[in-house]
Amino acid sequence: MKGVALVTGIIIIVLAVSIAAIPQFTTCGSQGKMLTTSTGTVIPMKCTWTGQAELALSLPLFAVGVLLLISRRKESLRNLSFMGMILGALVILLPTNLIGVCAAPGMICISVMMPAMIFFGTLTILTSIVVLIISVWTKEPS
Amino acid sequence: MDERAKLNVFTLAIKNISGNSFRSFIIFLCVMGMAGFFFATTLIIWGAEYSLNSGLERLGADIIVVPAGAETKVESALLMAKPTQMWMARDKLDKIGKIPGVAAASPQYYLSSLYGAPCCSVWEMFIVVFDPATDFTIRPWLESEGIGKLAKNEVIGGSAIVIPSGEKFIKLYGHNLSLKGNLKETGIGIDQTLFMSLETAEAMAETSLTQAMSPLQWNTCCIVLNSAGEVISQDVNPALISAVLVKVQSGADVRMVAQQIMLNDSEVTAITSPNLFGTFHKQLTGLLWGFLAILSMCWMLSAALIGLIFSMAANERRREISVLRAMGATRQFASFTLLMEAGLLAVTASLLGILLAAFGTYLFRDFLTATLKIPFLFPSPASFLSLLIGGILLTLLIVTLAALIPALRITGQEPAIAMRE
Repeated sequence: MKGVALVTGIIIIVLAVSIAAIPQFTTCGSQGKMLTTSTGTVIPMKCTWTGQAELALSLPLFAVGVLLLISRRKESLRNLSFMGMILGALVILLPTNLIGVCAAPGMICISVMMPAMIFFGTLTILTSIVVLIISVWTKEPS
Repeated sequence: MDERAKLNVFTLAIKNISGNSFRSFIIFLCVMGMAGFFFATTLIIWGAEYSLNSGLERLGADIIVVPAGAETKVESALLMAKPTQMWMARDKLDKIGKIPGVAAASPQYYLSSLYGAPCCSVWEMFIVVFDPATDFTIRPWLESEGIGKLAKNEVIGGSAIVIPSGEKFIKLYGHNLSLKGNLKETGIGIDQTLFMSLETAEAMAETSLTQAMSPLQWNTCCIVLNSAGEVISQDVNPALISAVLVKVQSGADVRMVAQQIMLNDSEVTAITSPNLFGTFHKQLTGLLWGFLAILSMCWMLSAALIGLIFSMAANERRREISVLRAMGATRQFASFTLLMEAGLLAVTASLLGILLAAFGTYLFRDFLTATLKIPFLFPSPASFLSLLIGGILLTLLIVTLAALIPALRITGQEPAIAMRE
């Protein structure tokens, strides 16, 4: 159980860093594209807000990874796995449902950021499921 | 049940894997990465081939006749939906129709919507105009879908064509068009192409004179302007066509008919269906060989690395294996334990790697097609399954071979000597 928690902890940390970093380079705003309103005000596109929200989500996910590295008890691992699953689901939901990305096809936020977040969110959920299974099946060390 | 009675090759392999989780994790990662890379590259190349074949099937013509020198233009238009301008005299259609071996010939007109114009709800869309009287490519599809005949102002689109949200029509050149259906996905430019009848195109051209930022360029040859630049008359019967689609008679040699068309008229080029996208096919073949070379090198390096890791693991477990043999385990049993360990890691890692690669390729397909400039269509479930099984078997073979030499070497030693070393 110790080895699995160590490996999954490292994986979750790598995923958290990727979830934080990738949107910073793949939003339309990062490519210098902004919206100009009828009054002439320049505002960021909505993928920029998704990128910011992903950065905010990556912090608790990073903490989950660190806690997995140091946790030994079954209950702790089980609770962390639930936390990981919820955060992974939110990583997917932000660009797909909650905030969204730009509408025009071919934009970098649609072709790169959104698929990347779906991919990393799915990996986070799968890794958390592995932690959950291991924590349920493995006997507590005496 | 006695705990010892449960000890078989499988449980021993599982215990060995979990007993050294770091070593197993490294092998797992290595195999997963290689299997995923192999699968993703093969999937991209298969997807490109599948997409091209679907596109050719959708085209439905044996030969496509275009103005001489416009071969690349037509390939770009059909492959990437890049709007193009190419024109030839309409009388060529009649000449082609009379050539022996030609069963049917139908004209097509290639147009595009305006870029950045408020009169067009879709910018720079590739538009194919067909003649319903002679068409043999779109009409059978319309009939099979139960649409029958396209009425005036009705259009059909490729799989990616949609009516803009909040609107009831697709507005082009200030003209409202009703989308009646979508063709099956092909992965090539046809998916982003709009198909309309000649009658609809003529109506759109008429509307464009007053409603569009600039009139439809297709028949500008026939528009007469006064000194103030105002349109005073317009001939809506197009004297020009972009291409002629040809269907050859059953039993006729397609290449011979194509040669005959070019001999008959030096101003046209006849491209046979298999040769369409020929330039792209060559690029794809080059890409395939490049990928194969890289893959082979990566597999060889991985096999060497896995072999080395198993060799180290086998040395580390020399005493354990000797004890097993001293207790009565045969050489085959001991070797099989090591091979089972390798096999279990290979199967699970390759399965996970392949599924992740497939998921990633599916998610990033738009990015891949735009970056690699190739069409892509996810293969059919049967092809996907065969590729998956092939990938797992190949991985299993390579990993088992890599583990075979250390397994045979270590189990071949006398238990007493091995334990003393």
